[in-house]
Amino acid sequence: MTYDLSIARHTFSLHPHGGIFWKEKSLLLISDVHLGKVGHFRKFGAAVPRKVVHKNFILLDELIAHFQPFHICFLGDLFHSSLNKEWDLFENWVEKTASKITLVAGNHDIIAPEKFQDLGIEIFEALALNDFLLTHHPDVRDGFFNFCGHIHPAVRLRGFGRQRLKLPCFFKTKNQMILPAFGEFTGNHTLTPKKEDEIFVVVDNEVVKI
Amino acid sequence: MNRQQLFEIANSWFQNQGWKPHAFQKETWTAFLHGKHGLLNAPTGSGKTYALWFPIVLNYIKNNPNYPTKHRKGLKAVWITPLRALSQEIKQSAERIVEDLELPMTVGIRTGDTSTTERARQRNLLPDLLITTPESLQLLLASKDYANKFKKCSAIVVDEWHELLGTKRGIQMELALSRLKTVCSHLRIWGISATIGNLEQAREVLLGPTSSEMKNSVLVKANLKKKIKVSSIIPKHMETFPWRGHLGLHLLDDVIPIIKKSKTTLLFTNTRSQCEIWFQKILERYPEFAGEMAMHHGSVNKETRIWVENAIRNESLKAVVCTSSLDLGVDFAPVETVIQIGGPKGVARFLQRAGRSGHQPGKTSVIYFLPTHAIELIEASALQVAVKENAVEDRLPYLNSYDVLLQYLTTLAVSDGFYPHEIYPEINGTFCYQGITEEEWQWLLNFLVMGSQSLKSYDEYKKVEVASDGKFEVNNKGIAMRHRFQIGTIVGDASLSVHYQKGGYIGSIEEYFVSKLNPGDVFVFAGRNLEFIRIRGMKVQVRNSTKRTNKVPAWAGGRLSFSSQMSELLRLELYKASTAQNQSKELIALEHIFDKQREESIVPSPDEFLIETFKSRDGYHHIFYPFEGRAVHEAMSSLLSYRIGLLSPITCSLAFNDYGFEMLSDKSIDIQAVLDNNLFSTDYMLSDLQKSLNSNEMARRKFRDIAVISGMVFTGYPEKGIKMKHLQSSSQLLFDVFRDYEPENLLFQQAFTETFEHQLEEGRLRIALERIATQEIVWRPCQKATPFSFPLITDRLREKLSNEKLADRIKRMTKILMK
Repeated sequence: MTYDLSIARHTFSLHPHGGIFWKEKSLLLISDVHLGKVGHFRKFGAAVPRKVVHKNFILLDELIAHFQPFHICFLGDLFHSSLNKEWDLFENWVEKTASKITLVAGNHDIIAPEKFQDLGIEIFEALALNDFLLTHHPDVRDGFFNFCGHIHPAVRLRGFGRQRLKLPCFFKTKNQMILPAFGEFTGNHTLTPKKEDEIFVVVDNEVVKI
Repeated sequence: MNRQQLFEIANSWFQNQGWKPHAFQKETWTAFLHGKHGLLNAPTGSGKTYALWFPIVLNYIKNNPNYPTKHRKGLKAVWITPLRALSQEIKQSAERIVEDLELPMTVGIRTGDTSTTERARQRNLLPDLLITTPESLQLLLASKDYANKFKKCSAIVVDEWHELLGTKRGIQMELALSRLKTVCSHLRIWGISATIGNLEQAREVLLGPTSSEMKNSVLVKANLKKKIKVSSIIPKHMETFPWRGHLGLHLLDDVIPIIKKSKTTLLFTNTRSQCEIWFQKILERYPEFAGEMAMHHGSVNKETRIWVENAIRNESLKAVVCTSSLDLGVDFAPVETVIQIGGPKGVARFLQRAGRSGHQPGKTSVIYFLPTHAIELIEASALQVAVKENAVEDRLPYLNSYDVLLQYLTTLAVSDGFYPHEIYPEINGTFCYQGITEEEWQWLLNFLVMGSQSLKSYDEYKKVEVASDGKFEVNNKGIAMRHRFQIGTIVGDASLSVHYQKGGYIGSIEEYFVSKLNPGDVFVFAGRNLEFIRIRGMKVQVRNSTKRTNKVPAWAGGRLSFSSQMSELLRLELYKASTAQNQSKELIALEHIFDKQREESIVPSPDEFLIETFKSRDGYHHIFYPFEGRAVHEAMSSLLSYRIGLLSPITCSLAFNDYGFEMLSDKSIDIQAVLDNNLFSTDYMLSDLQKSLNSNEMARRKFRDIAVISGMVFTGYPEKGIKMKHLQSSSQLLFDVFRDYEPENLLFQQAFTETFEHQLEEGRLRIALERIATQEIVWRPCQKATPFSFPLITDRLREKLSNEKLADRIKRMTKILMK
């Protein structure tokens, strides 16, 4: 169900939930969870199904149970908006999760850093590990391979008989890997791959390389 | 003053104009003054406005004999028009009466175009006679103390009721009326409708099926017989006339002599983009028309539209290319000729358009039908019969639209609040919600207050709150504001306004189109070539360009389906082709096409049901020809592909028109197995059809409007530049989360019911299948596309359907991408 690939002699496992596991570092990368989005909408009078809130945590737990990472790094947009009661659920989740947690801040992360620090979560603008650069916004720097989020990438596929499909994906260019949005109820943005790009679509609990 | 004296006032006014009141006008006056409610069936331009403005005014005189000295200010009557463009005309006719009779009454308009100062003035005091739209009426109900403002209102007239019936704006009207019946002390409700198939039902929907108003009501028919002459423009060179296409530009040269011959010609197109293209092309090829020709459609700005309408009246225009934006509204006397480009998709609409010409009494209305492709000539031929038999369609009213009801309840909560036990009987009395159950009602109230059916501690859902005395109200200003914005968006897509960089509003355009433009791209809009500069706020900035382009914005126009009557006429017309008897000149002109059709296939006779199959580089085409009209084909294709999918999983895209439907797949379908398994059977039809909806996307599309109307998706307020980006989500995304997490939600369910009742017309499908059962099935495997199949296989607007595993499909698709 996962898809392994090697980048600069390190091994990475792509999970259909939308996470990437870096084996050598036992580091799990997750991007654009947008926690609190459902609560935010509901607070403003849009009745998005409440059950979605729990689904995000269930998916996170499944992912962690699968890889048992030493370290989890969120690549930004962990929270969708200002503080709401989903933060309490997040606090509970952090408490019962054994892994070390870091956040590379994204444009949506407007909650006070102290709130995260109180939970033992460190916040960075960007994080460089070996030859890898972890950011929220795509950022290509010489000598680094970039892992990032923000885009919520998806691709459109065409088939015989005028078939069309749009699917969320991991989008890899020469020096960059954009992660799909992890959260339920997050939406996506279609990218057009170039020849040298590698696309890994997420479908029915499988990662399929195109 | 007695009735005789009152009538005298009206009669002498008519005399002073040099007119004589029609029988239907007098009949309406009498009924109104007798305190009756009713529906007036009269066509556009027949003097229907005077049929109702007069009794309203006379009634005022009767009840206020001292009006010259003692005029009480405040609202007396409301006139509802579906198109705000028409409000000026209606105001003028009201003012004319008020001025001539020297009444101290004021006439005012309140629509989306009304200035803020005017609106502020109306907040304190509404005019005596108010002209407004269904949305603006809802907005009035969303304002504080509305009950007092409406208390003395004695009449509500809903103009062009046929246009509202069968739309969600029509439900807004039903709901508003249900409230005003209680609020106003002596209210009369009147509707005005063009001829439709279900006039009696139209009256029921307007007044409430079991209401006392319904019992005390009349149906007045104008019965103005109008001679209509239909002639088709038949291509001179049928051999080169295209098999498909929707623009009809091949016949442009044939249109010119018609335009030249008559005083003013209206050219009706079906879409705004088609309108833009025709306008452009005529000017390109016949520059001498510059200055004598204009364009009119709903996205052109208001000033230009008014200018065009006045220019038609002044006879300063030779031709106007327009869309349904000119279907309604007052008389344009100078119009002598009407040309309909492409199938009008409805007899009522065709008649209405024809009626645009030859307005003087006794004159014949002339309408030319211009086919855009060869097969449409069959339609032209059938239309002539339909006009003769007056085979107009029904407008099907909605039932149980929870989205509109939620919107309305929020409206009431925003203004003065409401008590459910007072509102429930009112709602239950409307046509739309006559079947609503106590459980559903409770569900809706829970949804408004809790955003779900049970309370959870971490939930911060906030919309409507319940006060200690049980009153439902909105206390949060932000929610009230967003709700008011949302009321106007019951129709249409997210639209952006188009401006010149230096300022100057040109019109509005759908976001979808703009999203495909890159800076520097040139597109045609409002008859100009415009270069796209950027989007700022919710405004599209452009500058004039001299570059030529073929980019024309597309607006999602309604794709109407023929009535069952019209479909039958069409079918009979086509069957005539197989017998070579009683052929119209349109059919004779098509002989060449029929010959081509017979090369590999057949022209079916009444007892034959044709299926064609062939392969092209697009995939495997399977084409079925029931000739039952678009709606039935949509349903039948959905049903059939679902049943085929039971034999073995398939993925296919569906296309349909009024003649048949196509299933395009990447694998060949075993037609013999379809026939052997009797897949056209009516057994289990209903449940199969229901199940088929899960595997295609029709319901998903319906959900879009539902999500907006019920206030779950915020569109912002483009014209005011107010975005609510942090609250924007796509209805697609919402549909997915509802499907996965809350499929029992009534709004989610509604998407399916609406598809089912409004799009698929289950009853007609059954009859169609029964007819097919009596026919001999002729299956023709062909080498290439036949003329009949051509319009279908080239249709790009398709339904998708699949019951295959996604992963399997992708693996097949990948192989294609890899090569």
